Amino acid sequence: MAGRASPWSFLGNQPVGAILLCAMLLAAAIAATVSNLTVQLPSALWLQSLAAPDIADMRQVLVHYAFLPRLAVSLLCGAALGLAGTVLQQVLRNPLASPETVGVSAGAYLALALATLLSPSLLAFGREWVALAGAFMALAAVFALSWHKGLSPLSVVLAGLVVSLYAGAIGAALIVLRHEWLASLFIWGAGSLGQQDWSTTLWLLPRIGTAALAIFLMVRPLTLLGLDDEGARSLGVPLGAYRFAGLAAAVTLIAFVVAAVGVIGFVGLAAATLARIGGARRLGQQLVMAPLIGGALLWAADQAVQIATGPQGDLLPTGAITALLGAPLLLWLLPRLALGLESPALTAERLPRASRPGLLMAAIGLALLLLLGLALLYGPGPHGWTFAFGDELRPLLAWRWPRVLAALSAGAMLALAGLMMQRLTGNPMASPEVLGISAGAALGMMVALFSISDAGRPLQTAAATIGAFAALLVTLAIGRRAAYAPERLLLAGVALTALFDALILVLTATGDPRAMLLLNWLTGSTYGVDVGAALLTGGIAVCLFALAPLFMRWLDILPLGPAAVQGLGINLKMTRLLVLLVVAALTAASTLIVGPLTFIGLMAPHLARRLGLSRALPQAIGAVLAGALIMVAADWIGRTAIFPRQIPAGLVATLIGGPVLMWLLRRR
Amino acid sequence: MAALESHRADRLRDRITRRGVLGLFALPFAAIASPSAAAKPLRIVCLDDGLAETLLMLGVSPVAIAGRDIWETWVVEPPLPAEIADVGTLLEPNLELLQQLKPDIILSMPYLDGIKPLLERVAPVTTIGLYTEAGQPYQRALEATRQLARLVGKESEGEALIAATDACFSEARQQLAPLSARPIYAVSFMDPRNVRVYGRKSLFQEVFDRIGLANAWTAETNYWGFSTVGIDGLATSSDARLAYLEPLPEGAGGTLTESPVWNAMPFVRNRSIMRLPAVHMFGALPSATRFARVLASAMTVGAARG
Repeated sequence: MAGRASPWSFLGNQPVGAILLCAMLLAAAIAATVSNLTVQLPSALWLQSLAAPDIADMRQVLVHYAFLPRLAVSLLCGAALGLAGTVLQQVLRNPLASPETVGVSAGAYLALALATLLSPSLLAFGREWVALAGAFMALAAVFALSWHKGLSPLSVVLAGLVVSLYAGAIGAALIVLRHEWLASLFIWGAGSLGQQDWSTTLWLLPRIGTAALAIFLMVRPLTLLGLDDEGARSLGVPLGAYRFAGLAAAVTLIAFVVAAVGVIGFVGLAAATLARIGGARRLGQQLVMAPLIGGALLWAADQAVQIATGPQGDLLPTGAITALLGAPLLLWLLPRLALGLESPALTAERLPRASRPGLLMAAIGLALLLLLGLALLYGPGPHGWTFAFGDELRPLLAWRWPRVLAALSAGAMLALAGLMMQRLTGNPMASPEVLGISAGAALGMMVALFSISDAGRPLQTAAATIGAFAALLVTLAIGRRAAYAPERLLLAGVALTALFDALILVLTATGDPRAMLLLNWLTGSTYGVDVGAALLTGGIAVCLFALAPLFMRWLDILPLGPAAVQGLGINLKMTRLLVLLVVAALTAASTLIVGPLTFIGLMAPHLARRLGLSRALPQAIGAVLAGALIMVAADWIGRTAIFPRQIPAGLVATLIGGPVLMWLLRRR
Repeated sequence: MAALESHRADRLRDRITRRGVLGLFALPFAAIASPSAAAKPLRIVCLDDGLAETLLMLGVSPVAIAGRDIWETWVVEPPLPAEIADVGTLLEPNLELLQQLKPDIILSMPYLDGIKPLLERVAPVTTIGLYTEAGQPYQRALEATRQLARLVGKESEGEALIAATDACFSEARQQLAPLSARPIYAVSFMDPRNVRVYGRKSLFQEVFDRIGLANAWTAETNYWGFSTVGIDGLATSSDARLAYLEPLPEGAGGTLTESPVWNAMPFVRNRSIMRLPAVHMFGALPSATRFARVLASAMTVGAARG
């Protein structure tokens, strides 16, 4: 494993730091537990309630059937996640791998949410199978997305984040469409550890035990996986088989945890990382220390949450709280990890080049025009689908054109932002979504909704803009030390996005009706766009597009790598900063209209490239046209598909975008 | 009709003051206020189920409501006439459809203030808040009933509805007098482990007050009048009854009976639980009446059984 020498290495081979940390966490957990228990029951009755509770005494029943099983579940889940995190990091040789960062938790959660809402009978086969299927599908998607980057740590984590975001978007769609059960889905999805009998504990125990046993039996081959491929192969180890077995065991553990209690954020990453920097250098040590730390961590966190909410409170889901703590941890970790900088190299030579790029761009432009006509004129009404003209059209047009213009501008801006990000970072998974700017905008929106009663749209817009720029400032502050190195920026974005997801979960788990307003916006509804907003968005787009040609030379050179850029006498730091500022402005303006999750920024540049537009300017024009096309189509489909209800445009774009993206990025 | 006329006058005045701001926008609507339109019944789009049920009880059908498809699950009574159109979801009523329905007035609630400017482009919007920070939804429902009755020119029907509600309460109060010593929880299940329990600021609390029952849940609530708590949070009162409302979320019914905590709850052990058919928890007078009625019948049936 990469990493610095432990600060405690002078103490010899024992992971003293990790053991100390574990002891401290345990002490805190025990103290909090005693305090919680004292509130519930006089200490004289503790033993009795543990062994044979008096059913007539509600306090004893609660301790025996709610408090204690919850404690057991927190220990089990924490340990399982710590173990899974360590195995993932070892197998993927990735110090940032964890149940959340590789998308596995989100995949399992989405599969369960889908089954719960759409086909409850599936769950009769066993929740774990549904969760497992989702977890493996998410992992497969992550691999497919990062394969051509050789599964490098950064590309895996970015792909993991994208898959998590995608799963989250579909989850939000389910809730928007079936909002009657909003609260129940959230309470579980946010990782509430609440129990009312021992069944979950007894369900988890053999399953986690078996998976853990399998992992411990593989310690030696898994250790060899940490070596480089050649070293391991020369020892005659069937790498592929063990890598798969290790992954399968880790994913299974995660699926069990998600099936039992939902997503518990970042405990896996924290436990595995703390074990390692606490001095557990051999895999054997890590496999012991990480589960211990994970268990103690989740136990302590859960007891702390109970102190805050009162006994068995579900309103502050423990899983979301740990995720809140995880983001700062990730930010703190970033500068301390030797990730091995990736050389940016877009695989230009392998892609087709259009012989006549002008014609191609004209074709996309024509398609956009046709679609615009359709979006403005054609749609369902009280008397079925009609083309509207003349007097009939005028009142309808007043509703349609602002939405179409806003969608068009937002799609175009996101496409340009994505193109700039991808050329700046040399990473095909880079996009405004993963830069944290969208998350910042969403956070601002959330603060406005929840702190000011009856916040109107102008106020929401202002708050979202402030949030977007605050997030940009944070990201830039983190990136400044590394001269805005793309890897650092992207990972900071990952951390910010995770923080934001956690906050959303905490707020929505309260079942507050305002959460619906937030969700509606998150899924990218263009519903509320009025003339002012549309013109404003269009105006911003025009201004920023006017600036874009100034950047095209840089965008041609930046993918060649820092050395080439400086060799040409370009100030790398200044260039990166300027590009980022434009990206932030583009993202903030478009996020306000179509929400933070559309994947257009990711998808449109790839689409243009795939069609053969390889230099910056033609690719930019192609991407902008394609982005506008997709967003206008998404808005139109969203307005008409389930009339009179509507599907948010951002969500439609996401649903279209996911499969398209997989196809574009398929292994070449 | 005098009230209707005065309402129209209000709207006209409103429109004139806004004309300065909106300019040409207001012109297409000017026709609505013409004398010929006054003969026809008011075309109302109602975006609050509590207001919609009140209108229906006054004998007036709105042209359209939002979320028509879930009325039967969550509101049930009064039944929805078939000709009422659906304008889509509550948060995003379809504006194109609204426009084509040509309403004279849109009834909205403060929760939808975010989209009020959009709605106002279709028709004048009257916002009536049954649920606010200040609570007292029953008092507000009374005022809303009178306001709506004036709006549609059915003042006598409005007073009749209020009187019928009072009568229903006093009947329930008499029926339940022998059973009123024990407090009661009213809850909706969120999942097998968590419930919304209705308390202060809720419609159900005000019904309890009027039919002489004590709410067992006395802690704080949000402004819709409920708290979300684990079922074990309902153990604070040892002699309370529990009434839970349909619909139950997927899975809640089955797992309940197996849970030791649930089975140890005082109200389960002394068989004081009642399953009530769905009642709109954020409703107005008709929902309040329905709640009193289904609760009284469930409690008296339970008492008769022993």
